[in-house]
Amino acid sequence: MTAPTSTRAVVLSDPSPGWPRRTPKVPRRKRKITSETVTPYLLVLPVLLILLVFRIYPLLLGINFSFTGDQELNGVFVGFDNYLFLLQDERFQASARNVLVVLLFVPIEVLVAGLLATFIFIKVPGHRFYRSVYFLPVVLSPIIIGAIFNIVLGANGPLNAMADSVGLPTVDYLGQTMTALPSVLAVHIWATFGMALVIFLAGFSTLDQQLLDAAKIDGANFPQTIWHVIIPGLSQTIQFVFVTTTIGMLTGLFGLLYTMTAGGPGAASYLPEFLIWKLNGEARPALASAASVFLLLIVLVIGLIQIRVLRRATKES
Amino acid sequence: MRAERISRWVIAIPMALLAIATIYPMVYAVNIALKDRREYVLDRLGVTTTFNIQNFVDAWTQANMGRYYLNSIIVTVASVAIILLLASMAGYAIAHLTFRGNRVMFLVILGTMMIPFQVIMVPFIKLMSDIGTINTYAGLIIAYVSQFLPFTVFFMASFYSGIPKEITEAARVDGNNLWGVWGRIMLPLGKPALLSMGILNALFCWNDILIALLVMQSPDQRTVMVGVSALRGQYPDNVPTYLAGVLLVVLPLVVVYLIFQRQITAGVTAGATKG
Amino acid sequence: MKRFVAPVAIGVGAVLALSACGGAATTPSGESAEDGTLVIWNWGNSDDAAAAYQDEVLAVFAEQHPDVEVEIVSQPFDQYYTLLGSAIEAGTGPDLALFNGGTQLKSRTDQLTPVTDELADIHDQLAGWPAFEDGGETYSAPMFLQGFPIYYNKAIFAEAGLDPENPPTTWDELADACDTIASETDVSCFALGNKEGLGIEFFLSGFGSGIFTPEEYDAWIDGERDWESEHATQVLQLWADTAEDGWYNDGANSTAMFNDSFDLFSGGQAAMVIGLSSGIAHWKQFDDFLGDDLGFMMPVTVNDGTTLALPIEGGIGYGVLNEDKLDLGVDWIKATVDRDALANYSIAGGQIVSDTTIELDTDIQSAQDIVAELPGSKPLLHTSLGGDTLDLLHRVGQQLLIGEITVEDAASQLAASEG
Repeated sequence: MTAPTSTRAVVLSDPSPGWPRRTPKVPRRKRKITSETVTPYLLVLPVLLILLVFRIYPLLLGINFSFTGDQELNGVFVGFDNYLFLLQDERFQASARNVLVVLLFVPIEVLVAGLLATFIFIKVPGHRFYRSVYFLPVVLSPIIIGAIFNIVLGANGPLNAMADSVGLPTVDYLGQTMTALPSVLAVHIWATFGMALVIFLAGFSTLDQQLLDAAKIDGANFPQTIWHVIIPGLSQTIQFVFVTTTIGMLTGLFGLLYTMTAGGPGAASYLPEFLIWKLNGEARPALASAASVFLLLIVLVIGLIQIRVLRRATKES
Repeated sequence: MRAERISRWVIAIPMALLAIATIYPMVYAVNIALKDRREYVLDRLGVTTTFNIQNFVDAWTQANMGRYYLNSIIVTVASVAIILLLASMAGYAIAHLTFRGNRVMFLVILGTMMIPFQVIMVPFIKLMSDIGTINTYAGLIIAYVSQFLPFTVFFMASFYSGIPKEITEAARVDGNNLWGVWGRIMLPLGKPALLSMGILNALFCWNDILIALLVMQSPDQRTVMVGVSALRGQYPDNVPTYLAGVLLVVLPLVVVYLIFQRQITAGVTAGATKG
Repeated sequence: MKRFVAPVAIGVGAVLALSACGGAATTPSGESAEDGTLVIWNWGNSDDAAAAYQDEVLAVFAEQHPDVEVEIVSQPFDQYYTLLGSAIEAGTGPDLALFNGGTQLKSRTDQLTPVTDELADIHDQLAGWPAFEDGGETYSAPMFLQGFPIYYNKAIFAEAGLDPENPPTTWDELADACDTIASETDVSCFALGNKEGLGIEFFLSGFGSGIFTPEEYDAWIDGERDWESEHATQVLQLWADTAEDGWYNDGANSTAMFNDSFDLFSGGQAAMVIGLSSGIAHWKQFDDFLGDDLGFMMPVTVNDGTTLALPIEGGIGYGVLNEDKLDLGVDWIKATVDRDALANYSIAGGQIVSDTTIELDTDIQSAQDIVAELPGSKPLLHTSLGGDTLDLLHRVGQQLLIGEITVEDAASQLAASEG
């Protein structure tokens, strides 16, 4: 059997990995109930049931709950009051804005992982070692990563001490409005690029070596090789990494945020999941539900738009 | 040729720096975990001189880690096994089979993947409480499976869609029904992806605090990560002991990673280059 | 090819069997309807002394209710209120839970059962009740008194050429002292951790009695607060000014109050700190590091017509969440203020306890100084704020510290949030 068994093979050979081809139109009446037609449903049924009961249903409960009040208004229908309150709430506005900032960091992670994977692929000295080491932070929990980087990024921490010793200005990375969220995102990239790197490496291993050799014979330099051979060859992998990185950023920042900035200074590094957490802690669960619904919409819309754009972009290239 | 070799070395320098930046924080954590409380307060950044191994002993006993390790192992193994099983089934169906609702199914996966847990936190716990799964292994397993399943299905679908139809069709000709194709072809072929996803989901389950805190409210049922985070509540001023506890939690993960790293980082690639 | 399927299937089966056992064996804490159990949440014991105190309380309670099984659940403090809120909302909350007095307790009174009459007989025995009272009802009994005393390091004062035995008594003297410390030593004047935004509430409550007149102070506690008044804006202004004048350590906004800033003071990196009187960051902990160099000072006089008072009130206490367990809950609360238990913990753990008839038997001078100021003490200013105003205060506190908003802007935002 010579089936390609790597992720990148999968990703590569499919014109649109993960996106199922449109089901050919089957005339409905002629369909017979046979094991062949039922099995696909049985295969997806457990997943569908679990997601309906434990994701979608709580989501609907939450939407319902978001139209009720808190504390003395507990259980009372208040219409859109919670939503109207949120619209003018500073922390909510900051959370919504920051989702956009987060998305700006997605290409950076993809770029970093892609470049490093390229270097490892061309076997820079020590590439085996790097491949192992870079993945290591993926293993660590955000709690320990946050605790360590609190110290490393501190105003008097090692990073600033180093900067100071070579005459660079020192920055209170986690205590300044402009740097707090970007610092958290940078640490998130540090902590997760190993995963993207591995997916990229899987993609590289399916690249046509003959094409690379041909490029070399034609005298293409390294940037040209990347641009004309590697990127087109990896377009599906890139797309896959984009999607997974986006989802990681949209859903996986709570732990780091919590330990590194706690949303501050002011509301500068608030993110949706953190705001919801805070509101629950302030004994305002219904308001938290409204924020959940609102922000879920934002995340879904942005996420789906991004995926669409990506699909189109990679298809055209 | 010479110029190329030089440029490779030049590239290797920032990569080496990055590798140091990757290892350094971990060395740093070990260093702090070896300080006693006094040394930590008086000289946080310096190399430890006290080598206070006692922190690890304290963390182990105070966080009741013996018991909590067992809880974590049970929950993690069960969750990962269920996730992989269900995801490989659904992934195969979504990627290879034509059935009405295929696209809708895929959108459900994609949509639920983007729901941060905090969004459904309160109603979810209410549901868990209604069906009586608070403080049970089953409850936490369900919570993890439903949380991490969408991404795994997405990944598996993506992986399987790269397996040529000819292979599965050949298996059909040999007399396999769809279940046979799944069991005899898709599961074995999916091994590298299942292994990667297995490791990743194990990490998520093992490192989770939030879901475990909410579902496992009884002290006996806690996971090891929750035990350690409660350590911080109990000894708020003793950072070295806390870090020692966190390191003890992470240790098995690092060991597992070192054992499987070839499969994770290289193994995934190897199969394909042969093809 | 079946090799791979079999282990997975066996694994799943085994685990499902295991989890079924787990499910059957546990007692869901949320449904503690069956008699004979009492589920209590707290945020754990900070040291051996606290654990010993808890054991004593358990013993006192067990004497009255030998058949009741008490399940104490220690949650991580930094997630405590969100966990509690979610659990209550989902119907899996405990029978009793530990609360910080003031804002945290008062914003949850709709979930608590009042215990006014039940605790009437111990009312005269304890101090610090106001933090647990709301709308004429009492919701818990204070175990300890929590306040914001100002501690200073006598060795650093001496190094800077200041008189270690006579700390500043007016704002001008304090400002001069900070200037001197800045120029004569390489440590900061105050240790400040403002990552959680707590700095400004320590500042407000710590210095409040020297800024507000006694009438304004009492009105503030009673809920008549005008953030745009002269003295309230002055608090914000002084806070911003002290940051600009370099009173604090670098990176205060990224320094955790608990416990990085207190470690700075313990480690001799700051001359002064607004600390606590009980729990942690108190006289006993600082004494471990500074010994005889530890000094206590009162707030300083900022405005004429003010009366300096030690800011202190009831710290923490258990509230009853499950009305059906009211009797057990009340007995538990009474056990927590058992005189012997408190007396033992007071000295072992460094607590200023709510039972003021207990003599604090320690030779740590600053503790005696704090106790001596108890008769003229006043409640904390910040704990009378509502939850959302307090959170806003934290945020504007951070922004003022780095000069991102003006004092007027901060004052008007705060005024608006008071509604």
